[in-house]
Amino acid sequence: MTTLENRPDSDRRGDDGTDTGRRGLGEGGATLAEMLAQRRRQLTETGCYAGITDPHVLAEDPVRAELFHSRIMAALIAGRETTRLVSASPFVREVAELAIGIYTPEGDNIAQSIGIQVHIRCMGEVVQWMIEHDYEHAVGIEAGDIFWCNDPSVAGLHPADVYDLLPVFHDGELIAWVCTVTMEMDIGAVSPGCMPIANVERATDGIRFVAEKVGTEGRLRHDIELKIQYSLDMSDIFLLDRKGATAANLKVADEIGRMIGEFGLDYFKTATRELIEVERRNQIARLRQRTVPGRYRNVVPLEYYMADQPVSWLPARKDHIRLVPIEMRIDGDGALTLDFEGAGEWGWHPFNATPSGMWGGFAFTLVQSIAYDGRANLGSLLPVDLRLPLGSVLNPEDVRPLATASIWAPVIDIFSLWCAMASNAFFMRGFREEMFTYRGGSGMQMAGYDQYGMRRPLLAAPTGNFGSGATGVCDGIDAGGSLITAEIDLGNAEIWECFMPYLDLGRRLEPYSVGWGRFRSGACVPTAAMLHRSTQTIAAGVVGGAAEFILPNVGLGGGYPGGKRFNVVMRDTDVPARIERREPLFHELGHPAHPTYEMLDAEVTHPHHMAPPMEVNDHDILVTAIGSPGGYGDPIERDLDAIRVDLDDGLADRQIAEDVYCAEVEFDDAAKEWRVDPQGSARRRDAKRAERLARAVPVEDWWRRSRRRLLDHDIDPMLSEMYASSMRLSEPFTTEFKEFWALPEDWTPGEGRP
Amino acid sequence: MSVSKDDLRDLYAGRLGWDKTKAIISGPKDDDRFETAVEVLQEQVSWPERILMPLREHLYVVESGGERVVKCDCGHEFGDWRRNWKLSALIIARDDEASLEEIYPGLRRPDPALCEVREFICPGCGSLLDVESVPVGCPIVFDALPDLDTFYAEWLGRPLQGVRRCEDLTHEITSRWGQAEL
Repeated sequence: MTTLENRPDSDRRGDDGTDTGRRGLGEGGATLAEMLAQRRRQLTETGCYAGITDPHVLAEDPVRAELFHSRIMAALIAGRETTRLVSASPFVREVAELAIGIYTPEGDNIAQSIGIQVHIRCMGEVVQWMIEHDYEHAVGIEAGDIFWCNDPSVAGLHPADVYDLLPVFHDGELIAWVCTVTMEMDIGAVSPGCMPIANVERATDGIRFVAEKVGTEGRLRHDIELKIQYSLDMSDIFLLDRKGATAANLKVADEIGRMIGEFGLDYFKTATRELIEVERRNQIARLRQRTVPGRYRNVVPLEYYMADQPVSWLPARKDHIRLVPIEMRIDGDGALTLDFEGAGEWGWHPFNATPSGMWGGFAFTLVQSIAYDGRANLGSLLPVDLRLPLGSVLNPEDVRPLATASIWAPVIDIFSLWCAMASNAFFMRGFREEMFTYRGGSGMQMAGYDQYGMRRPLLAAPTGNFGSGATGVCDGIDAGGSLITAEIDLGNAEIWECFMPYLDLGRRLEPYSVGWGRFRSGACVPTAAMLHRSTQTIAAGVVGGAAEFILPNVGLGGGYPGGKRFNVVMRDTDVPARIERREPLFHELGHPAHPTYEMLDAEVTHPHHMAPPMEVNDHDILVTAIGSPGGYGDPIERDLDAIRVDLDDGLADRQIAEDVYCAEVEFDDAAKEWRVDPQGSARRRDAKRAERLARAVPVEDWWRRSRRRLLDHDIDPMLSEMYASSMRLSEPFTTEFKEFWALPEDWTPGEGRP
Repeated sequence: MSVSKDDLRDLYAGRLGWDKTKAIISGPKDDDRFETAVEVLQEQVSWPERILMPLREHLYVVESGGERVVKCDCGHEFGDWRRNWKLSALIIARDDEASLEEIYPGLRRPDPALCEVREFICPGCGSLLDVESVPVGCPIVFDALPDLDTFYAEWLGRPLQGVRRCEDLTHEITSRWGQAEL
């Protein structure tokens, strides 16, 4: 059996031309729509996936079951590597933003490769969307068909993530789907990059495939190939990624055929469904083992600065902030509900989330935080309920007219803070080593003519530069904190420099990015790129999180969130003259109050994370410094030896050691080492506690002062509008807000301070 | 596999060697962790009240005089666990440039027009119990309200005496404060 040799008999004809009597492509001649409806009904009626109330096939022969699962995983991981080896994109080869999964005929995920685990459910949603739109009959689904989808109004988190879907048949029956996702550097979006910010309408998102059949018999249609060549500046990269994905999908489909030959079709069907149901049960068991039932809360402000964006849909040109309260409830039966009651309204910008995007966010978060044993699939998500208010920034009534380039932004911020909420649950249960936080980051993207004279969108995304949050038992990992893809790294600077007209000026861990605490977060690596041999380039922000001027609330147990992220743009620098004079260039940030780049003679600006497009030229320098997530515990309880090590490693300086950690330190010039004085440190720490007690006030006093500010409307107008937006959508939010501040019934947020 | 009390004590203190720490992080999770944790923590505090649940660094929900209250390891009590303990703490609100610069210098400083960094301090010992970074005007976040009775009865199989309905009672405090404003 191979994928291509067996044709489905949607025309009721078998390979030998006889009438098979089959109505649909599914099991026993059922249509896919019937199968999907049945699965949904079974889940509702029994609470179990596919109505499997007694999963026993896998359990009856655990060795066989393990072999079966290992074969699936080996095929998927090999498939992922196939795509990487075929691809020429640094996103895929270097950063490894890709994954591949296997799905039931109804689009339910059975297993995922390593890699970007966001799309576990999203790619299956595309299959279900196709079923719901009767592709079985209206479009046709046959062996070797290639479908592409990158439209987030169907599923997904931005058009740059392109899904390649392949149906797998056996004796005329559609028995599975294999789906690969890769992130593309160019999708033909409005400049610059593939996640443009000056982009508020769907057309400027770039080329979108709405679950389209683009190939048959394992080959891409010639007209589609031409369409890509005429639509994208980097069509070669895009098409090579597609070839890699198709090769991977076919390779996995062939392996499925071999597995059916060895294990039998009945076992394949039953075991794949049991894998989902068993994972559902395991997820509940993990939640019951590692958490505590109850209610957990946090808040996420999403900052959208669109007023200066050069867009023609003028209603979009408005700065605003939206509040997203998160309430997690864990019930006695282990079910988990995330309720976003009080989320503010959607807007004309590319940063609205969608239900699919939110599920994507929760998928990668659960895989990294709880379901990390390599068996994550749809079952990991089944015990979860997401409540996303219609009309909110998490669930616009109609996504289709909107740009969707950065659904990531709210999703990352929200699930970063979910990690902090889950950490509280892990702490209470005693699993402090499971605590951690994450924080997204934003940077700069470019477009223009590269060093070869070719016009290209230029999005460099060395996302392996995030520090991870502290756990409850040790420091976070320096530059090791990407929640989205655990295997991610920065990629080789030399490879990026081949693709981008810039030179990497430095890759140093930055001590002031850290979230302080008894255990500190990992440090981040800022990026510093100097334009080199470009002829005409524009730069703008690229948003991987919507936090800018408000630090995300990710400190744990007395630890601080890492500091504010920032951009620096240096134009008209004296770098050429410095090179001529053989004088030092700028390689690391130094202290954030007097950064080392001040030694350069340049025009310096600090654009926010949504920097509108600006022209940049050779020897201009773009710096992005992201902030780390949270530290854990009171910083003045940090182990003195850990402080010494940080000082020696350049991950702390005297100011951090003395003012934040309250340690008495001295540099031994002769030994070239730092010394920490235990007695002096104890005195500093006692003094700090006394200072806190003298300086702090009862919360009641602070509450009265803060309440007065609200009554006087003495807050920033953007915050007034933020609260008003949530109140327009949510009566419960309004009631609770007024109750907390004991505000009069007729109080409204007003216009803010004049 | 269970983690021994000694190892857990050292793990929490950050004193356990990396090999053992890594093994605990990566290994299967132990079903009796909660019981071991409570034993370790109970031995570390100087007061006699029974720890029902560790709430966060320094804080516990304990049985005290027939009530379930939040208590610091220094002995300071914050009241019923269903009322957000933060409202009974001391606060340092970093809401201007100068106070924020102490922690976040220069380019790392958030904007005080939009962001308030709230430090909640134990009135008994001066420990920093929580740092909350939120938009100005945002109600204090009630991070965690554990459902103690469901947990003990349904998950541990040993119910606590005297069921208490798990509901947020923080409004009792703000309502009292509000009355005083009238």
